[in-house]
Amino acid sequence: MRTGQPRLGSQNRIAAYFAAVVSDESVRECFAGPAAFPILPNKRVYFARNRGDGEDKEEVEAKVQALGVTATSKYMGEQWLVHVPGTHTRSATHHPQKNCVSNFVTFTTRHQATTTFIMVGPTASLAPLYRADGSSSYTCPATGYELLGAVNAPVELPARRDALKPEEATVEVFVKPGTTTAGVGERYVEGILRSVLATVILGREKGLPRRGVVITLAIVGGEDVERGDSYLTLLPALLHTSLLALLSATVPLSMTFSATLLGVTKSGIIIPDPSAADAKAMASLHALAFSSKGHLLLNESQGRFEFDTWEAVRQKALAICQNTAVSADGDVSMAEGAEGAPLHDFVRETVEDQVHRDYPWKIDAV
Amino acid sequence: MTTPLVLLPGEEVPSDHLPPTKNNNPLKLGPGLRLLSQPSTSAAAGHVLTATQAGLLTTDAKRNTVSLLSFSNRRYLPTTNDLIIAQIHHSSADYFHCMVTPHTAHALLGQLSFEGATKKTRPMLKQGELVYARVLSVGIGAGAEVELTCVNPATGKAEPGGLGPLVGGMVFDVSTGMAARLIRASSASPDQTDAVEGLVVLSELDKKLESVGGFEIAVGRNGKVWVDCSNAGDSAIQATVAIGRCLQQTDEGNLSTSEQKKLVSRILREMKIG
Amino acid sequence: MASATGAASHPVPPSLSLPPSQFARLQPHAYLLAHLSPPAASNQPSIRANGRASSQFRVTSANAGSLTHTNGSAVVRMGDTTSVCGVRAEILRTEDIASWSVSRTSNEASNKRRRLAELNEKPNEEDEDTAADDEEDRAHIEDLNLLVPNLSLSTGCAPGFTPGAPPSALAQSLSHQLLSLLHSTRLVRADDLRIWYQPPSLGPEELERHNDDEQMDVDPNPSGGVEDHKNREIKGFWVLYIDVMIISLAGNPFDAAWASVLAALRDTKLPRSWWDVDSEMILCSDNVSEASKLSLRGLPVASSFCVFEADAAAGWRAVVIPDAEEQKARSQKKGSQQRWILADPDGYEENLGQERICLVVDKEKGGKGKTVVLKMEKHGGWTVDTDDLRQLVDISARRWDEMKRILDQC
Repeated sequence: MRTGQPRLGSQNRIAAYFAAVVSDESVRECFAGPAAFPILPNKRVYFARNRGDGEDKEEVEAKVQALGVTATSKYMGEQWLVHVPGTHTRSATHHPQKNCVSNFVTFTTRHQATTTFIMVGPTASLAPLYRADGSSSYTCPATGYELLGAVNAPVELPARRDALKPEEATVEVFVKPGTTTAGVGERYVEGILRSVLATVILGREKGLPRRGVVITLAIVGGEDVERGDSYLTLLPALLHTSLLALLSATVPLSMTFSATLLGVTKSGIIIPDPSAADAKAMASLHALAFSSKGHLLLNESQGRFEFDTWEAVRQKALAICQNTAVSADGDVSMAEGAEGAPLHDFVRETVEDQVHRDYPWKIDAV
Repeated sequence: MTTPLVLLPGEEVPSDHLPPTKNNNPLKLGPGLRLLSQPSTSAAAGHVLTATQAGLLTTDAKRNTVSLLSFSNRRYLPTTNDLIIAQIHHSSADYFHCMVTPHTAHALLGQLSFEGATKKTRPMLKQGELVYARVLSVGIGAGAEVELTCVNPATGKAEPGGLGPLVGGMVFDVSTGMAARLIRASSASPDQTDAVEGLVVLSELDKKLESVGGFEIAVGRNGKVWVDCSNAGDSAIQATVAIGRCLQQTDEGNLSTSEQKKLVSRILREMKIG
Repeated sequence: MASATGAASHPVPPSLSLPPSQFARLQPHAYLLAHLSPPAASNQPSIRANGRASSQFRVTSANAGSLTHTNGSAVVRMGDTTSVCGVRAEILRTEDIASWSVSRTSNEASNKRRRLAELNEKPNEEDEDTAADDEEDRAHIEDLNLLVPNLSLSTGCAPGFTPGAPPSALAQSLSHQLLSLLHSTRLVRADDLRIWYQPPSLGPEELERHNDDEQMDVDPNPSGGVEDHKNREIKGFWVLYIDVMIISLAGNPFDAAWASVLAALRDTKLPRSWWDVDSEMILCSDNVSEASKLSLRGLPVASSFCVFEADAAAGWRAVVIPDAEEQKARSQKKGSQQRWILADPDGYEENLGQERICLVVDKEKGGKGKTVVLKMEKHGGWTVDTDDLRQLVDISARRWDEMKRILDQC
C-alpha cells in the first residue's frame, strides 16, 4: 500500500492545514485545506495564486527555511492553490482570524521575501495512558482542542435495566469538559457519539455481548463550550479521539471513519475547520463523518442554509476525509497509492506509527 | 517475503499476502481477522478476509496461519487454552480462588486439578503462592467465571510439562505482547540458530548463565514471567533479578537483537555475575 | 409473519395463530416488516403497523394559552405524545449583571472589528438585519442566558419513568437540543427582551416621543432615530423561562416539544415595562392591552424520521459491508425494498431502528419563499445519504405547511 515512501516521525510529518503570509507583493496570505505530506527544512514548495476561474495562476517558488513564528491574516475569500512537489495540490481559501499556536515553517520566495507558513494539522498518539485498555491523545491546532480518550472494553457493567442487551455490547460514552462538570450539552453529545460509535463497533464479536465498551473523553485544552453552545466544533475531534482509543483497545470494528467540520460564511464560502470563535460568525456549521467505505455516518448541521449548499459542503467534506475529488489541474501525484485520503490517512499514519513502535523487530526482519 | 502490511478495521487482506493454500490443510485465522462472504448480489462472489482490529498482518507459511498483531500493551483477557501464571488469593472447599489480572474477578482452580491430586494428596496452596495453569473455560456472558486447570483432564498429566505450583523464584511483569512473543519464540524449534521473533535475550542469558547453573523460566500469557535460578547458589538472587531486568527492558525499549546482546552483557556486568 | 398479514385479510387456521398484538410484542421487527412489505399476492399497500404511510405524520393538535398563570403557554399533541410548554418572563436588571459594563464595551469593539472584516463579503440582501445587529442580538441572548428552556419527562409518561429519579439522559439532551435550536435559529429577537430607558432630551422630539406608546419601536425618522439611540440605555432584560413537560411519551419527543415551545412563544405576551427614574426601578404596566407579543424570526418546524431496515442485523452478519457507491447502486435496483424511512416514529418504531434524522426547516416570506434548512441531524447508521435527505427536506417542507396551519389556528 505505502511503498517507497521514506518513513517520517510524526514530529516531521505535518498532516493537514497550513496558512501562509508572504511579505512579497504577489503572495500575501493563504490558508490551505488538508493535505498529508511531509514538509522538511529546505524542501521546495510552490504557491500558485488562483483568481477564481482556475486559469490565472501565478507561481511563486518558496523554500522551507526554518521553523518560525505565528502569523495573522487580513484578507479573506481569496482562492489559493498550494503545491508541494510530489504531493497533493489543494485549493485553499484564506481563513479569517486564524490564531493558532502550532508548528511553523518559514519559506523564502523567489523574490527573497519571507513567507511564514503555519502548519496546522491534527496530531495524535496511541496508548498514552498505562492503565486503560486503550487510549489516545489528540491535538487539533486548527480549532485548538486537545483531547484525551480512554477505552475500557470489555468490562462488566452494573446490572442496569437499560444496559443489558442480551446479544450485543453496550456502548457508553462520557465526555468530561475541561473546567466544569458535565451538563446537558455533554449528555447530548454523548448520545450522538454513542450512536455513531455503536454503528461501527462489532458488539456481537466474541467476548463482547452483555459486556460494556466504556469510552471516556476528557477535553484537556482548548476553548470551553459555553452553555447552549453546539458541540459541533468539537465533534470531529471527539470522534477521532474515540476512534483511535478504540483501535488502541483492539475493540473489533467493522470499519473506521474520519470526520471534519466545515463552516459556510454569509457569502457562501466553505471554510474547513473553523475555530470555536470563528464558528460563531458562520452562517451555518456542518460536522460530517464518513466511514472508510464512504458512507455518511454522521451529519450535524445548524444555522441557515439551503440543501444545495449542504450538498457542496458534503462533497468538500468527503474530499477532505477521503480525497475522492481529484483536483482539476491533474497535478495530483498520488505517491501513496490509491489511499491518498488526508484525514483517513491521518488515522492510518497514527496507527502505523504505533505499530512501528511496537514491532520494530518484526518489521526490521522483513 | 512481502512488505509489512498494516491493516485498519474493515480492510481486506490482499490475497497475495496469504500463504499458498493446500487442499488438505485449511488456513487458520488468528485474532483480529474474520471471514466474510461477499453479498450475493455483487459480481465477485466469494469470501474475503477482513480485519476487525488495527494491526500488523503476519503469516506463517509453515503452520498455515494468518493473524493480525495488534498493540502489545493491551489488557489480558482470558482465552481458553492459554498458559498463565496465577496467584492464589484464597481457597474454599473445592476451589482455589486465583488472581490472573488485577482488578478483575477471581479465576477458579479446582483443588483436585493437579497431576495426581486426590483428596489426600492435593497441594495445600497458601495465599500468595503461584501456579502455572491453563485456562480451561472462560464462560459466557456477564459474570462468567474463568476456570483454570493444572492438568490435562483427558490424560491426568500436567501437559505441557511444568504446570502446577511454582516454587521459589520471582515473578516479573511484562506486556502481554511480550509474553505472547516469548511463548512463540520458545515453541519454535530449538535447533534454530538465528533469532526467533527477534528475541535473542533468552539464548544470550542461557549462554552466559550456564556457568552459574542455568535458570528456569515460565511465561504466562497474562503478562507474567516467573524466573528461578535456585541452582546458582550465592548469586541466585542477582541472576534472577538480572534476567527479569533484561526481559523488562527488552520489552519497554523494543530492543533489536544487537541491543539485546549489549543489554545482557551490561546488566550481567553491573550485577557482577558470570 | 403469515399470521400477522393473514389475520388482517382472511381467517387463518386457529392452531398456530397468535393475535396480532401478541405477535407484535414477541417479534416486533418481523411484525413491522410484514406490514411494510406485504406479500406481492396480497395486493395490500405497504403500510406501517400503526396504519400510517411511511411519510405520514401523526395527527397533530395544538392549543395555546391554556395555562393562565404564564406569559405564554401551549399544549401540543402528536398522536400519543403530548407536550405542555409554559413561558414565564422575569426581569433581569442590568445592574445585577456583574459583567455588564465590561462586556458592553468589548461587544462594541468586536462589532466594529467584525464590520470591518465583513466589508469584503457580498452583502446578503435577504437578511433584513445587519450583521452588527445580529451579533449584538446573539451576544445578548446567548451570553446573558435570556432563554432558559428546561424539559422534564414526567413520571409515568412512559413505562420506565419512575418517580424520584434524576433527569434522564434523554431529558437532558432534549433540553440541550431546545436551547441549541433556540440559539441557532435565533427565533427570539433580543430587542423584544430589552427594557430601555430614554432620558428626556430637550429637543423638539420630546413631545413626539412621549406620545409614542411603543417604546421599543425603532423611530422611522432616521435622523431623529440616531439622535434618540445615542442616549438610550438598556436598563434590564426579560428572561424567558421555557418549561416543557412531556406528559405522555410515545416516540418522537423532540418534534412535540419544539412545536409546543414554538406555539408557546407565539402566544407569549410581555407587559410594557420601563425604567422609572424617580423610584430607580423597572416598572411594568398591568394593562393587558399594552402588553406586546414577541416578534419571532420565522417559523422553524421540526420533523424527525427513523430508519427501519429489513435486515436488522445486517451489520453483524459475516457479509462484506458494501461501500457507499455499491450500496447506492443496489438500492436503486428495483427489487424488494431494504429499508423504509418512517416519518414521526412512534415509540414502537423507535425501538426498531437506530438511524435517526431530524430536520428543522423554515420557509421564507411566510411560506411563499424557498425552503431553508435550519438544522439537519443524522446519525446512528449509514444508509441515508444525499438523495434521501433531499426527499426528506421536501417532506419536511410539506410538514411545515401543515404545522403552520395548525399553529395559526391555535
